[in-house]
Amino acid sequence: MAGQDVVLQNVSMVYPNGFTAVHPTDLTIKAGEFFSILGPSGCGKTTILRMISGFLEPSSGTISIGDTVMNGIGPNKRPTALIFQNLALFPLMSVWENIAFGLEARGESKAKRRKRAEELLDLVALTGQGEKKPTELSGGQRQRVAIARALAVEPSVLLLDEPLSALDLKLRQHMRAELKAIQRKTNVTFIYITHDQGEALAMSDRVAVMNEGRIEQVSSAEGIYNRPETAFAATFVGEQNVFRGRVVATEGEGISVETEHGLLHGVNRNALTPGEEALVMVRPEQIELMNGNAMGAAERGLNTLSARLERRDLEGALINLYLRAGDYPVHVNMHNTGETHVPGEQAIALGFHWRHTVMMRPGNLAKERA
Amino acid sequence: MHALIKTYGRGLTVLFVALVAAWVLLMILVPGVRTIQRAFIYEDRAGETAMIAIEIDRAYTEKFQLDQEAADLHAQAEAESAPSSGVPSFGAPSMGGPTIGVPGAGPSGGAAARLSPADRDARLAEIAAKVATLEGRIADLEAREDTSSGEAGMKERYSFENFTTMSMVHVRIFVLTLFYALCVTVLSFLICYPVAFVAATTRSKGKLTVMLLLLVIPYAINELLRIFSWVMILEKNGILNSLFDALGFIDLEAGEGIRFVASNGAVFLVMVYAYVLFMVFPIYNTIDTLDPNQLEAARDLGASSWRIHTRVVIPHAKPGIAVGAIMTFMLSAGSIAAPEIVGRGLHPDWFSQLIYRRFFEADSWNQGSAYSLALLVACVIFIFATMRIFKVGIRDIAK
Repeated sequence: MAGQDVVLQNVSMVYPNGFTAVHPTDLTIKAGEFFSILGPSGCGKTTILRMISGFLEPSSGTISIGDTVMNGIGPNKRPTALIFQNLALFPLMSVWENIAFGLEARGESKAKRRKRAEELLDLVALTGQGEKKPTELSGGQRQRVAIARALAVEPSVLLLDEPLSALDLKLRQHMRAELKAIQRKTNVTFIYITHDQGEALAMSDRVAVMNEGRIEQVSSAEGIYNRPETAFAATFVGEQNVFRGRVVATEGEGISVETEHGLLHGVNRNALTPGEEALVMVRPEQIELMNGNAMGAAERGLNTLSARLERRDLEGALINLYLRAGDYPVHVNMHNTGETHVPGEQAIALGFHWRHTVMMRPGNLAKERA
Repeated sequence: MHALIKTYGRGLTVLFVALVAAWVLLMILVPGVRTIQRAFIYEDRAGETAMIAIEIDRAYTEKFQLDQEAADLHAQAEAESAPSSGVPSFGAPSMGGPTIGVPGAGPSGGAAARLSPADRDARLAEIAAKVATLEGRIADLEAREDTSSGEAGMKERYSFENFTTMSMVHVRIFVLTLFYALCVTVLSFLICYPVAFVAATTRSKGKLTVMLLLLVIPYAINELLRIFSWVMILEKNGILNSLFDALGFIDLEAGEGIRFVASNGAVFLVMVYAYVLFMVFPIYNTIDTLDPNQLEAARDLGASSWRIHTRVVIPHAKPGIAVGAIMTFMLSAGSIAAPEIVGRGLHPDWFSQLIYRRFFEADSWNQGSAYSLALLVACVIFIFATMRIFKVGIRDIAK
């Protein structure tokens, strides 16, 4: 089994009731890639997955896997396998029968099915559990059975629909590593749907951020987090402090925006031009406390801001500060070094480097965070 | 019990328990035990008591006829001795035919043959003598009957004779009925499974409501009316044949109407229609609990529709299928209206009709009880066999 490319050309999905779940989309997923589609619920990511698996026929456009156009081909005839959110294991069949079901459907002999099931049980570290019923296994083990069942049909594309969402945090983190390892071992193209940025960023070679039926950005995990291209991608993945303003000057990749907190400098991500409205974004971990020492900030390339502390939460290694600068809430997180001093009630001077400050064209902001 | 007292108080609890006890005792235990008891008591119809009873009946009939004749003759005598004005008062003699002692014919209506007074007296004496003999005989027979039936009462013993004396014809009907009921059950399943599957997997609430309504509405009509409406459809001059006639397949005028009624097929059809609901709903309920993702998972793994049903849906729906099969089988094995009305006597009997006739035509309640018990036992065996085959327990069925 080897992965194959998945290519979506101008694919859209309009439901009979007129709701457009997916606007015309082009997307190329490379063979053997671990590709995640990250987005809030209802953004159309599951619709894309179901169109690739064949349960939904796109309203327009073509989907190809490898060199074959898949339109009109049923899910049972596609080289894809789907892992459901609730796994959908067959409760009345034993574990090995579950795993071998796809082979049974192909009419393989029982001996052959049994042998293949054992191999896959070894692959997912469930050796000797074949005779049990799925209900006798733990959540993580059931997860692995679902993966083995999907891999048994030797798909070139494995589609995963938030398969880890039912697991607790520890197990989820463990399964991320296992999924990644299995993907490396099998070299199958993985398309992973999630609304959890941790999963998407930790496992994926590339991530697509989706909102309201449109793909906002496709990039590596680092790219998504460090170099977001749209306001939605920036605010959905990780946290942002957002200020509104108007562009006054641009110079190379540098840009200056006038806000109610004075002139802020940053990186011009969307090629804004003077006079345009802009969003100024900076992540909580990029803001530092000046501790009354604002001298020479401009020379060090820092923007400064004055804010009043409203609340501080100690979260072990991190200290979260919730401040307010005029109308804007400001969130800062700092490493707890043991000697971290947080001033009291008086106005606190905050500083953040212009290179960590991103100026973007206004757009949808994420209502929830991944 | 304590929970009941806590919830409803002492008075209501006593009432509940008393009502339940009365129900169990009067509606279930007593009739049940009585039926079983009767089933094992053999009533010898050819025995001495029965023969005596028949003889007594005959003697009484004969005596009655003689009494009638005597009464007629006396009436004639009176009419002649009375001063005759030539106007017959009643019972015009000219109308008198030689109708001797027809029971029910009044003394004034019928008349014995006109005899001369001498002959009449001779005949009357003869009758009196005969009646006296008959009375002696009746007294004797009745005395014997008392002792005999007393003995028979003493002899009332439990035996399997009600079962062992069942004729081969009846045994054949018994076996055939079970087979027919099985046919109805299988047919119902074949029809109901797709319906239940479609109803349970449809995503549209509106469609589901319409489907369920269409299934339920016919049941608002009395079962007999439903059967008669089928008769109207299947009749030789019925709706179906008229339709064929209108379409030109057959010519009703020329008597080419197809006789659908009075055949196994018609009885099966009517029964399947009558019991569809009992099969659809249990299956619908179980398929409804099937995770639709399992269907998609099976399909995604390359399974054909046939395999999805045999490997995923039917195993899941087994408890529902078992319940539906049990109900349909019990109902059709015990059904009497459909075979009686649709079968029209041309059809081989169903066992339920036989039981009815044992009870109310042969007037043999003991054999009727035995036949009912045989059917009951067969049905219970069927239930357990079904549960065994489908590997479902009482608990799965209760779900």
